This record gives sequence, structure tokens and C-alpha cells, in this order.
Amino acid sequence: MSLYEIRNMAVTIAGQRLVEDVSLTVEAGQCTALIGASGSGKSLTCLTPFGLTRGVAMGSMVLDGIDLGSADAARTREARCRITGFIFQQPLTALTPHLTVGAQLQEATMQAGAARPSLRELVRQLERVGLSRADERLDQFPHRLSGGERQRVMIAAAIAHDPKLLVADEPTSALDASLRAEIMGLLDQLRAEKGLGLLLVSHDLASVEGHADQLVVMDRGRVVERGPASKVLSDAREDYTRRLIAATPRLQEVAPKLSRPGEILLETRGLGVTFDRPGWRRGKIQALADASLIIRQRESLAIVGGSGSGKSTIGRGITGIGPVTEGEILWRGTMLPERRQRSLDMRRLIQPVFQDPVASLDPQWRVQDIVVEPLRNLRPGLTTAEYHEMARVALTDVDLAEEFLARWPASLSGGQAQRVAIARAIIASPQLLVLDEATSALDPLVGAGILELLLRLQSENGLSLLFITHDIAAARRLCHRIAVMEDGRIVETGAMQEVIDDPAHPATQKLISAS
Amino acid sequence: MLKPRFPLVVVLAIIVLALVLPFLLPWTYDQIDWDAVRAPAFSGAHIFGTDEIGRDRLARLAAGTRITLMVAIAAALVSLVVGIAWGATAGWIGGRVDEAMMRIVDGLYALPFMFIVILLMVVFGRSILLVFVGIGLVEWLTMARVVRGQVMALKQRPFILAAEAAGTPSRMIMLRHILPNIAGVALAYLMLTVPQVVMVESFLSFLGLGVQEPLTSLGILVKEGADDMDMTPLGLALPGGLLVMLLVCLTIEGERLRDRFS
Amino acid sequence: MLALITRRLMTAIPTLLVIILGSFFLMRLAPGGPFDGERPLDPETRAALQKAYGLDQPLWEQAWLYLSRLVQGDFGPSLVYRDFTVSELIAQGLPISLTLGGLAIVLALMIGVTAGLFAAVRAGKTADQTIMMAATVATALPTFVTGPALALFFGLWLGLLPVSGTDEGLSWLIMPVVALALPVSGAIAKLTRAGLATVLKQDHIRTARARGLSETKILFKHGLRPALVPVASYLGPAAAGLLTGAVVVETVFGLPGLGRYFVQGALNRDYPLVLGVVTLYAALIILFNLFADLVYGWLDPRMREG
Repeated sequence: MSLYEIRNMAVTIAGQRLVEDVSLTVEAGQCTALIGASGSGKSLTCLTPFGLTRGVAMGSMVLDGIDLGSADAARTREARCRITGFIFQQPLTALTPHLTVGAQLQEATMQAGAARPSLRELVRQLERVGLSRADERLDQFPHRLSGGERQRVMIAAAIAHDPKLLVADEPTSALDASLRAEIMGLLDQLRAEKGLGLLLVSHDLASVEGHADQLVVMDRGRVVERGPASKVLSDAREDYTRRLIAATPRLQEVAPKLSRPGEILLETRGLGVTFDRPGWRRGKIQALADASLIIRQRESLAIVGGSGSGKSTIGRGITGIGPVTEGEILWRGTMLPERRQRSLDMRRLIQPVFQDPVASLDPQWRVQDIVVEPLRNLRPGLTTAEYHEMARVALTDVDLAEEFLARWPASLSGGQAQRVAIARAIIASPQLLVLDEATSALDPLVGAGILELLLRLQSENGLSLLFITHDIAAARRLCHRIAVMEDGRIVETGAMQEVIDDPAHPATQKLISAS
Repeated sequence: MLKPRFPLVVVLAIIVLALVLPFLLPWTYDQIDWDAVRAPAFSGAHIFGTDEIGRDRLARLAAGTRITLMVAIAAALVSLVVGIAWGATAGWIGGRVDEAMMRIVDGLYALPFMFIVILLMVVFGRSILLVFVGIGLVEWLTMARVVRGQVMALKQRPFILAAEAAGTPSRMIMLRHILPNIAGVALAYLMLTVPQVVMVESFLSFLGLGVQEPLTSLGILVKEGADDMDMTPLGLALPGGLLVMLLVCLTIEGERLRDRFS
Repeated sequence: MLALITRRLMTAIPTLLVIILGSFFLMRLAPGGPFDGERPLDPETRAALQKAYGLDQPLWEQAWLYLSRLVQGDFGPSLVYRDFTVSELIAQGLPISLTLGGLAIVLALMIGVTAGLFAAVRAGKTADQTIMMAATVATALPTFVTGPALALFFGLWLGLLPVSGTDEGLSWLIMPVVALALPVSGAIAKLTRAGLATVLKQDHIRTARARGLSETKILFKHGLRPALVPVASYLGPAAAGLLTGAVVVETVFGLPGLGRYFVQGALNRDYPLVLGVVTLYAALIILFNLFADLVYGWLDPRMREG
């Protein structure tokens, strides 16, 4: 008998059926991964049977012999507290801010009725999840720990009472690429050690590959396909699954055919950004130091690194929307002045595309006005009809229909909003696009579409792209060359495939192993 | 549902009545009816009776409401303008300038402002202009803080950076991107400032330091009512009740707006 | 924590100085002086009085003199209550005002937090809506309306409580404290309920629920402290509000507290008295704000670094 078996489950919220006819199993000691885009119902599927969402679950959900479907609130609570452990997505907010790590761990250990743990036991628990200086950590408050450390604490708390089933809702989505591999590895270890069953939810197929035994793919509230992971990945039956697998960038896939670069367009020499510590504290923070790189015409350069590596900083410095305190930027050999001094003509050459598509559009403006803004500045004298026409053409370039012109940003999906942002970026015919994690916040299928769009724009318009990302595999689909950053410095550069095949710097190696 | 709209209706009704009544009543608010001094309510031509010198209570109520509201709206507008100017500047420029400007706000926030206003009243005389300005200066601090917070948050939003990359000059960014996005919150806090100002004005008038004779305000009416309450409690109940109702309705609507925009 | 306290105190001293000097110059610059009463004095007596009170010296010297005496705790003589120094008047009035204010805030916290909690736990139901409506009405009740109203009802009509003065044991405190506490308790109730409603939606509550803890435990152990943070930030302005409310309440109920002295002093241009009271109030508020900051730091450890 499986540890946890769900059969024909449906979830309703306020009368609406959001999840329908879902079945899956989790075996003891194995990992079942639930994959799907946002809105596919995966979180609802795993959390509702335990009473942790606003929804109501109907159907057969049997955990270790207990039928959760017919259980009342008290029994459900018992199931949560004795047999199951939970790990959530945002370590920042999932821990109580005013209680120390030790206090919370203690509470977690005692939740199933165990006796108060000794200090040594708590230290041991933290060490088992790979936290250094465990005794210090116990007295600290959660906000003092980094994201990765907090997630380890969460894991420790989730297994402290020796549960049989672990439910992890996007445990690594909010973490750095390099951390992901470590956390997933940790979960594998614990699974093997304790014979835990793991129900893992993720929107990113790549992160669960190699860790999942069973794969369940969901789309719009239904299970599209399920089976042993290796079989699903190599030989998917459903079209949706195949598309999803194709959309997920992987290092092993076929290398893309990219355009041929021309002469040098942009060059930075020894670029650095230092600013004062905020507030009262003395001292400076060096976000970027000694960064030198080259971008050619029709070339895509990837800048890859973890958070805090300085990749966004260099992108903003180059675009002219962030500070630059040292070094110089040269455009076709001439120096580009710093931020506030750039002329309109200079600005038009380099345009940004941001990570959060909806936030990059003014909520009080219509798409029409948003797309045309750069043009209004550059050529202020045109008539409304002329602007309208240029906006329409720009939308066509990004495959959006004319009717989008009158829409408001709030009514757009993530993918549509990003296309609008790209339309705005290309309307004044720039030569370099700086994309700061432009696909990271999008669902894999949508993101793949955007990458295709960018490739097409590059070949049609001769654009150069600066693709800033933490996802090396995605960068590989688009870029000729790669620069790896860590702690504000560029630690390795080179042609994409060469760097991937033979990484020299440990940071690069970590990033590659995480993919 | 009717419930959320009801307070707004009440406020509007009060405003309309206060403006229209002088045209409907045969007396002004300071006219003395020698034949009907201390007339009880509903006893004759004077609907709510007359006060101890023979002035019609209803007319005085209407006049008092007019003055109070006029002062309140003017003062709230003063606080809006000063608050937005200060907060938006501090938030937009950022850095040391922002720190200094907000340090001033923090310092002023801690002051017993009421006392400073009273001091000013005593020192510079009791002109109604000073009442407007003085009260407005008390309330701008909250508006400044709120606006500065909003502007700082907006400044980092990608659409502002995109506008800068598109070559839009700072002035235009402030005008066309920032201000429209803080208008909602500013309006909500404006609605919430009005009851505060009404309280301050009434309080000052109660102490004899606000609006002066021959004008009247709700605060003065409350004071007169309180002085005379053992004889005619209606004199306190009417203006007091109206004041409370006005404040409650304004606060409910203001909070509804604030919740909508946060 | 210590850094926070030191920093606060550092900004407090210049603020206080600004207030004192500002008020000082304001009063001096006003037309008319304390001796421009109803009966004009002959020039000789007037000059003598001015000299005795040091009013004939240049402003800067007066200011310096005032400050130096202030540091020694000497607020100077009252110009109107001729037999008393300001320090003595303050010593008389301060205990009364402090008692009023202190009791009012304690009462307001007790009523407000309980009501807010009660409403939050029953969010959306009738009890919640009723309590919140009552709280909103309470915040709109100015003390100068409730004060006389209470005095009328309980004092004159029912004859239960004294309407003025401070004799008759402690019963004189009841009505003034209630009138003072009402609007503050309404505000606290609303803040508590809003704070709790926000906190209960946050992730760490879901984590606590996932651990199978009882709802009560989740509420009190994981939810209450962050929920009270807005209340703590409100304590500073609440204190300021209470001080001004105390002025009204003391006037209405005829209590010889600082507030009443202040109003009398302002109306009669009794400079030292007014200055003394303003200084004291400002210092009290600054101290109270510091206290509120400390409470805030205890509730939310992220604030401890300042």
C-alpha cells in the first residue's frame, strides 16, 4: 500500500471547482513531483486535504491508513501534526519573525507530543540539515539568516517530529540556482535516511529532474499525465507534457543556431559601482568592481550569477538607469556619459526589459501610451494618428493584436505584459537590449515563447542582447557568449559551449551542477 | 450594498442643508428674536427653539456647520499641498536630502503641536486665516510621510526606470507617472484629514482660541451648549450630536478609500 | 538596542532646544506683554516690574538666562500667579495630569486590545462589525463633547459622580479618564483588529497551522506580537493626543492640572508658565516616544537594530 494515495480528488473554493479528478501516489522513501504552471492547481492539490487552504477537498485521500476526505477538523489537525511535515516556498516569511530559531525548532519537535528536546538535540537537528555554527543560530531571529539558511531551518523543523510524509510546496523557487541543488540534495538525503515520502511541487521541471521518482503533470486543474519520472521525460504521451519538456531549457539539449556577430558595439572597462551604506552605518558597499566586457553587433551575451553577484547592477549601469562610480562605457569607441548626462539619442540605443512584466508598465497608462513613450520623447511633433500607427506596428512585431492597444496593464497576462514591454523597448529602433531576468518570472511555456521572440527579433532587426539571468540553461538557448559573476566581479568569460563543457571557476561549476 | 454608501450620503446631506438652510429660514444665525428667548424646541416658529439670547438654534447650527466645514476643507487642502510637496520632493530626491527632510518631519511629529498652534494663536491674534493655516500645518505631517513612502516605493518600480531609459525628463516622470499613481492614496488621506481638522478647529473654538465672534462654529456651539447644559441640554446635544455624526461618516468614507488604495 | 536609545536621545535634545527657544521667542515677539492688563499701570511701577522680571534686557540675554536657569530646574516665577514659581505650579499640576493620562492610556489599551482581538477572531461576523462600528464612533467622539455629556448625565442628572474638583476620594477620576480614554480605545481597537487580520493571512501563520498547533496557540504565540506593532507605533501620537485631550477635560471638570494652567497662562501671557508647561510636555512626549520604540523593538526583533 502506498504511503499517501489520492484518487479522483476535486477542490472547490466558494463554489468554483478549481481542481478536478486528480489522482497520484507517494511511496515511502520516494519522491513524487507535481509539475505545472502557476494556476494549474498544484498547491491546492497538496495543501487542501490537510486543511491549509481556503478550499474544500472531496474524493479519496488516504494517508497512512487515515482517510483525510472524511476526517473532521480535529483529525486533520492530528494528521498534520503527527504524520506530515511541510516546507513552503518563501523562507523569508514562513518563519515567525519574533521567535528565535531555537524556540521554533523546539515547538516543531514537540508538536507531536514528544518531550522537550535538549539543547544538544536541537544543535544536532540543525547540523543534520547542513547549518554551520548551529548553537549560535538557535538564539538568532529568522531575519538574521540568509534565504538558504532559513530554508534549512524550515526543513529541520518539518522533520523534527519524525513525520512519514513531507510536503514541499516550491521549496527552492525563491532560492538561488546554486542553492537549489544543495537543498534538493539535502531532501534526497533525508528521504533515504528516514524513509520519508516526499510530495514535491514545482513549476520548474528542470529542478526536479534527477530527484523525482514519480512525475505528475498538471494543467488547469487536471492531471495531464503521470508515471515514473524517467519514462515521462523520455517518452511523454501527451502533447502538453511534450511541449513543457521542450520549453524547459536543459544543458544537454541540442545547441541553438545563432546569428553571426559583427563588430564591437559596446565595451566596458573596469566598471565599478560603489555606494554608501544606507542609514546611519558607515562604510561603503561595492556592488560591482572592475567589470570589463564586450558585446558585438547581433551578438547575445549572457551574464549569469547568483543573487548579489552584481549582474543587475552592471545591466543598469550600461542602460543608464543605475549609478556607475568607476570605469567607463564605450559605444563604438566613444565614451558614454553617466546616467543623467546621456542624451536622448544615446538613450535610445540601449533599452531595458525587466523581470516583473506587469510592474514594468505604468498601471495608470494604457498600452497605447506605454509603447509609444520612447517615441514621444524622440519625435515629439507627430500626430496622435501617427503615434497610434507606430504603436500598432510595434505590437505586431511582438505578435500582439491591435486590440491590445486600448488595454490596461492589470488586464494583461505575464506573457502579454512582457511582450508589451519588449514592444516599447524596440519601438525606437535600439541596437542593444538589456534583459534583466526577463523570463524568470514567467511560466516555462510562456518564457520559451519570449525567448523565441527575442531570437527572431535579433535575426530580423540585428539586435544585440545582454541577457542577465541565473539560469544557465536558458542562457544557452539564446546566447553566443557568457560572463559569470560572483560577488560583484566577473570571474569567467568565454564562448557559451566552451565554458559549459569546461568551467574553470568554482562559481561557474556550481551554477552548472545546479542546472 | 447600501451600508458603505450611507455615510457619504449623510455627509452630503449635511453639507447641502448647511448651505441651503439660510435661504429657507427667516432668521440669520445671529439675529435676536426678543419675543422668543429660550424657547423650547417644536414650540413655535423656531424648530429647535432658541438659545439664551434668543437666537434660532437651527440657524446657528447651519451657520456653525458651514464655518466648520469651510475651515476644515481649506485646512485639509493646505495640508494636502504642503504634504505632497514635501513628501514627493523628499521621496524623489532621496539620499541625504530625504533623510534631512524626514528627520524634520519626525521631530515635528513628536511635538505637542496643539500647544504650538495655541501659542501662535495667542501671539498673532485670532484671525480666521491663521486658523486655516495653523490647522493645516498641524496635519501635513502625516500626508508628507504617506506620500514620501509611496514615492520611494514607486521610484524603484521598473516602469519608472523604463521611462527614464525612454528619455522622459524627470519633471515629466513626476507629473505623468508618479503623481497619477499617488492620487488615490492622497485623496484617501485627504478624506481622513478633514475629520482631524474638524476636531482641531472645534477644540480651539472650545477653548476660545479659534473662530471668533460674531462668526460661529460647531466648536463654539458645543462650548455654549456645555456652559448652559444644566438648563437646556439640547444646546449641547444638537451641535455635539451633529459633530460626532459628521466625524464618524467622514472617517468611515475616508477609511474605505484608504483601504481601496493601499 | 542601546544604539537606538542613544540615537533617539541625541535627536531629542536639539528638538527640545528648538521647541524651548522657539516658544520663547514667539512669546516675546507677541504684541503686548503680561502687564498690559485691564488696568494700565503707571510707567514707574511698570518699569520696576519689568526690571524685576528681567524683561528690560535684550532678548538674547533673556534667552540665555532662561536656559541656564532651566538646566538647574528653575522655570522662573509665574507672572500672573504672583505667589508661586512655575516649578511649584508644575509640581501641583503635574501629578494630576499624569494620573489622568496614565490611567486613560491603560484603560484605552485594556478596552482597545481586548475589543480588537475579540473582533478579529470573529472576523466578518456580526460581532466584528458591531465592535468596529462602535470603535469608529468612539474615535470620532471629541473629549469636549463627551466630557460635558458625561458630566451632564452622570453628574447632574444621576448625581452619581462629582462634576468638578478633586475631593471625594478617587471618584472624581472616573468621568475625566473615561472621556479621555474613549477615542484612544477606539483607535487601538481598530488598529489591533486590522493588525491581527493582516498577520493571520501571513505565511508564518500557515506554517504554525501546518504544525498542527491549536488555533488559540497560533493566535497568541505567533500572531499577537506582530499584530500589536501598529498599536505600538500609535502610542506616541496617542500620548500627544491625550495631553491635548487632558487640557479640555481639566477645563470641563475644573481640575487643577497642567493643561488648565497652560490655557490660563496662554490667555494671560504668563510667559514662564507657558514655557515651562510646553517644555515639560515636549519632554514627556519625547520620553514616551522612546518608550514606544522600545516596545516596538520587543514586539518585532527586526526593529532592534534601528
